[in-house]
Amino acid sequence: MRLSTLLSRNLIYFWRSNVAVVLGVATAVAVLAGALLVGDSVRGSLRDLFVQRLGKTDEVIAATSFFREKLADELQADPRFVEAFSGACPLIVLNGLVIDEKSGRRASSVQVYGVDDRFWKFHGFAGVVRAPTEREVLLSPDLARELGTEAGQTTLLRIEKPSAIPAGSLHGRKDDLGRTIRLTFREALAASYLGEFSLRPSQGAVRAIFVSLARLQKDLELAGKANTILVADKTPPGDRTTTSPVVIAGILKDTFSLEDLGVKLRVLDRERGVALESETAIISDALNAGAVDAAAKANLSVVPILSYLANGIRLGERDVPYSVVTAIDAEAFEAMSRRYGGGLRDQTVSALPRIVLNEWAASDLGAKRGDLITLEYYLWEDEGRLRTESARFMLDAIVPLNDRGVDRDLVPDYPGLTETENIADWDPPFPVDLKRVRTKDEDYWHKYRTTPKAFIQLDTGIKLWQSRHGKFTSLRVRALDGGDPQPRVGSFKQSLRAALDPIEMGVSISSVRTEGLEASQGATDFGEYFVYFSFFLVVGALLLASLFFKLGIEQRLREIGTLRAVGFSASVVRSLFLREGLALATVGSVLGVIGAIGYGALIMYGLRTWWVGAVGTTTLSLHVSALSLLLGGAGGIVVALLCVIWTLRTLKRSSPRSLLTGSLDAAMQSDSPRPRVWSPRLLSVVFTSAGATLLVAASLNRIGKTAGFFGAGAMLLAALLCFEYGWLKGKARSLIGGSGWWPVARLGLRNATYRPGRSILCIALIASAAFIIVAVDAFKRDNSDATLEKKSGNGGFPLLAEALLPLYHDPNTSEGKEALSLVAQKGIDPESVSFTGFRVRPGDDASCLNLYQPRNPRILGASNAFIQSGRFLFQESLAQTTEEKENPWVLLDRELTDGAIPVIADANSMTYVLHRQLGDEIVVSRTNSESVRLRLVAALADSIFQSELLMSDENFLRLFPEQGGYSFFLLEAAPEATSVAAAVLEEQLADFGFDVISTSERLASFHRVENTYLSTFQTLGGLGLVLGSFGLATVLLRNVLERRRELALLRAIGYNSGHFALMVIAENAFLVSCGLVTGSLCALVAIGPAFVSRGGHVPALSVWLLLSVFVTGLFASLAATVAALRTPLLPALRAE
Amino acid sequence: MLEAINLAKDYPTPRGALSVLSGISLRLSRGDAVAITGPSGSGKSTLLHILGALDTPSSGSVTLDGANPFELDEKELAAFRNEKVGFVFQDHCLLPQCSVLENVLVPTLVSQLANHHTERARKLLDQVGLTERIEHRPAELSGGEKQRVALARALINDPVLLLCDEPTGNLDRKSAETVASLLLELHALQKTILVVVTHSAELAARFPVRYEMVEQGIRQV
Repeated sequence: MRLSTLLSRNLIYFWRSNVAVVLGVATAVAVLAGALLVGDSVRGSLRDLFVQRLGKTDEVIAATSFFREKLADELQADPRFVEAFSGACPLIVLNGLVIDEKSGRRASSVQVYGVDDRFWKFHGFAGVVRAPTEREVLLSPDLARELGTEAGQTTLLRIEKPSAIPAGSLHGRKDDLGRTIRLTFREALAASYLGEFSLRPSQGAVRAIFVSLARLQKDLELAGKANTILVADKTPPGDRTTTSPVVIAGILKDTFSLEDLGVKLRVLDRERGVALESETAIISDALNAGAVDAAAKANLSVVPILSYLANGIRLGERDVPYSVVTAIDAEAFEAMSRRYGGGLRDQTVSALPRIVLNEWAASDLGAKRGDLITLEYYLWEDEGRLRTESARFMLDAIVPLNDRGVDRDLVPDYPGLTETENIADWDPPFPVDLKRVRTKDEDYWHKYRTTPKAFIQLDTGIKLWQSRHGKFTSLRVRALDGGDPQPRVGSFKQSLRAALDPIEMGVSISSVRTEGLEASQGATDFGEYFVYFSFFLVVGALLLASLFFKLGIEQRLREIGTLRAVGFSASVVRSLFLREGLALATVGSVLGVIGAIGYGALIMYGLRTWWVGAVGTTTLSLHVSALSLLLGGAGGIVVALLCVIWTLRTLKRSSPRSLLTGSLDAAMQSDSPRPRVWSPRLLSVVFTSAGATLLVAASLNRIGKTAGFFGAGAMLLAALLCFEYGWLKGKARSLIGGSGWWPVARLGLRNATYRPGRSILCIALIASAAFIIVAVDAFKRDNSDATLEKKSGNGGFPLLAEALLPLYHDPNTSEGKEALSLVAQKGIDPESVSFTGFRVRPGDDASCLNLYQPRNPRILGASNAFIQSGRFLFQESLAQTTEEKENPWVLLDRELTDGAIPVIADANSMTYVLHRQLGDEIVVSRTNSESVRLRLVAALADSIFQSELLMSDENFLRLFPEQGGYSFFLLEAAPEATSVAAAVLEEQLADFGFDVISTSERLASFHRVENTYLSTFQTLGGLGLVLGSFGLATVLLRNVLERRRELALLRAIGYNSGHFALMVIAENAFLVSCGLVTGSLCALVAIGPAFVSRGGHVPALSVWLLLSVFVTGLFASLAATVAALRTPLLPALRAE
Repeated sequence: MLEAINLAKDYPTPRGALSVLSGISLRLSRGDAVAITGPSGSGKSTLLHILGALDTPSSGSVTLDGANPFELDEKELAAFRNEKVGFVFQDHCLLPQCSVLENVLVPTLVSQLANHHTERARKLLDQVGLTERIEHRPAELSGGEKQRVALARALINDPVLLLCDEPTGNLDRKSAETVASLLLELHALQKTILVVVTHSAELAARFPVRYEMVEQGIRQV
């Protein structure tokens, strides 16, 4: 006989209690490891989903403008590309709106892909999927389902018509932004064949439409052009390097042509040189700098030119309508002036800037040198308004039309203007009063076309007409030595190509796979969340395991005493039991690991079904990770062993004599009792004081209200449990006397004091779970009581809208309404609707609706008027001044000394999705691959802005000049008319893909996620309560078994089954009620502020959950009652 | 009057029925006090349990004041025991969570009898010499004191029949003497039918009538 033999004998003989311990540990491990598996599964599912949707794409080259699709072939021909990459595929990527013509169903925010066979060849499906031809269209499965379309039906696709000229400039088109293409639905393309192709990670349904590349190019009048190239690396996924974008950038720099960047060179003649223009009709600063650099290398000079259309050149009553005025550099202006009698000497005459008129204009106006000439012109304001301005000049000289400076090529091409035969045919993006156009004006146009009628100095022109897109309309390149520049054009082109960096010119290269995989780590660590959510399950299971182990030991006190009596030392006995505990924990852990897979699968099923609101996708599946199982299993063993050690500690002080009695009281009593310093009542006082201190501190705003009240609630919980323990241990009791049900019930209540430790354990478990259930319920968002307060989550705006095509006109002005064709309809006067527009820089959804980590969050530009309105409720801010404290929006205008840009986010998004706090920075990349540091300066409280960051319009325009117009709107309308107004606006602005929803609906979508998380927490907390009830039943059962002789005596002296049931139920109800009342009371303290702020509504779910727990707890008494009744009377009564 | 007629008790075993009692008949009136002795396994405790309606006979009948407890349903039987029978066991079976007074009162909690139980309990505790200990818990009492509490509890409902199973079996000599004296004194006062099962010859000697269990039967000594 060895100790190990004894150990195995013990394990087998006491198999009932051992099985209970094993099951307890197994449950804890299953829940713990299962929770970790949930984290792995969510991450794995997001990764799989992203990879499937991305296909073979590793990097993406994208441009704000269109480039030659041949660029992809040229890239692939480069030896460096062949070495590092396996393929490149050009395509057009746009956003669109799709309508099923038959049903009229619409779907917005659709990703439009103009593709050909190269797309599927690139992804390895050559010959498997036939690319759409002509008007054929393929849809993603979700989009096809949403539209309910069938093969052969007509699908209307509305997309933004790309325009080289920025729509936010005077010559940019604002009223013909979209184009509708009629297509025929061929089939829904399965996800496995890239039907859900997406470059941006998102777990939601994919709305994608695949159109023939050639068709799209034709309809957009962009033959041979594309705006995106997909690149696949040659290296296998595990060996990817982060240098791929750098390699691509290098190849691209050597491959691109000036045409790809929209740069045009027009060779004029020896004298006039070469005109350098951009398809945007504006020379950007980067292009200007590149041109200057390249010209210097080719011994050429660059002269900037700014041409503008004046609505009128006036002298007194005389007016020359619609004339080109060109601003030229000071040297050229002075030379022209000097040639025709003007000059510096006249500058003293007037402080007004000088102007030179051509002789036609001067003659038409009857002007002579020294006359005051007024230029009237339009200015396009960023707010979406066309403003008419004027400037006065002094006529300095009159230049003949045959002068070399009077050049029709000073003006770049403006679509709708420069190519027309007559002025009457003009179709500019601004109003033209053709009644003002005279025959002589048409004659001038026929003869001289865009030849400027007036010249001013460049500095003056820049002051008057520069925009955020650039200062010049063209550059004139000339030979420095006055020679013919034409032979040097070739070398200039080369130098210009070398000087221009496509990245700085609006081309971006991104490692979409790397970034997406990083984003797949998720905004939320579900593993961590579910460990929290399952906390009570784990604790409950471990407590049960400890309880069973403890009961097992108590059952074997005589055996322990015997072992001690025969010479086992206390440490050997403890070691024996510890080894038993280890063996049980190990077996439990192994079983738990198997159970973890089941638990994980169950939770994943829950996330796909019951809690789908939290994740918004049904594509999540179980991913089993050995590491998580190992961690969970090892964690379970360690914690179980700690519980065993804690349980065994009581045996340390027991003597063999006391153990041999088999009496727990005797065994647990120390033979050499130590004085107890911390009595339960003293601890109760200490915890109460600590709780009160926290309450006061929170009330005085010394600490956070949530932390303060929760801390106080937790302290109160501890205090009450200590008090109850003290009470259970106490001896002062009122006499149980009399007869009837009440004294019998009181006898049952008195039983709760039989083992105060066990009773308080049950109370603590139930109280803690009740605390969580009630406290969590208070944080559930109720959308029914949303009010339209200006200082609220909706800012007092009942509606919000998003537009597929940005609106450039201000819909608040009558001109804007007219331009947008907004008219009164269905009793809704557009005048009664107020629009607050925001510029939008597309990006990742920063709200809880997005499971992926947002890398580049969507950014909104807030206008000054909105900032000053001070709407919405803030949770916290970095405000310092009184003005900032009163209206934290003004923090957006603060200039930060380190160059960071102030931004505001919703507090929930900031904390739980972006994982930042106030003062932290978020780095986002711009189109030119530069990074911008955004600093969080304030956080909104439960607002509709959970998907984005907000910055000032001023900063927005500076950082993202390519983003024109307004795509996001907050709308105000009379409360009774909001739904009709929404419908009317959607109808009238349908061409813009205008989508209106109520702000309460938007908030509800966020709350749904939040509430689902809380429900999950509550559900798992409720399961913890169920385990607590099992523990309670166990305790009751154990108590009954331990007292079977007393119970038998009661039966002997006349107690019947009804009396027993009453006693057990009374005891059980007492313990359950104590737990529920204690937990709920403390939770109410903890959620005090939230409870009051929500009108003190009783959280209905909590009440039901607690009631069901109460009933379950009472059912738990059944087992004990039955056991009590089944106790054999006579054996129990026998003394021997 | 307690009347047992031709009582028999068999226990089923794998090898056939094991007869513990056979042909036992007794007739005792109020005020009678008898001691039953016999070797271990002779069936004396079984007889006591049958007399107290804790166990059922295989055959024969028991009546107490004309009532046959084995014809009663579970509830009626419980009430019968509560009102008519008092038990004292070798192990006192006190409730550890209740005070001495409360332990004595435990039977009254389910009693349909007239009230004033507390007064009676105090009186009984006074009679067993535990007036000073009524607020104490069982854990704070000696073995003899516990058994005295058990005696008081057995008498609280003024039973017709007082059954004691080895009431001094766990006690030292002095305590056993005290308990035995109290038992007889209280019996004399209350005029119950007292049946005591004991191994102790000393205790049995103090009873005017003694029976001895013989093989499957009983005989008066």
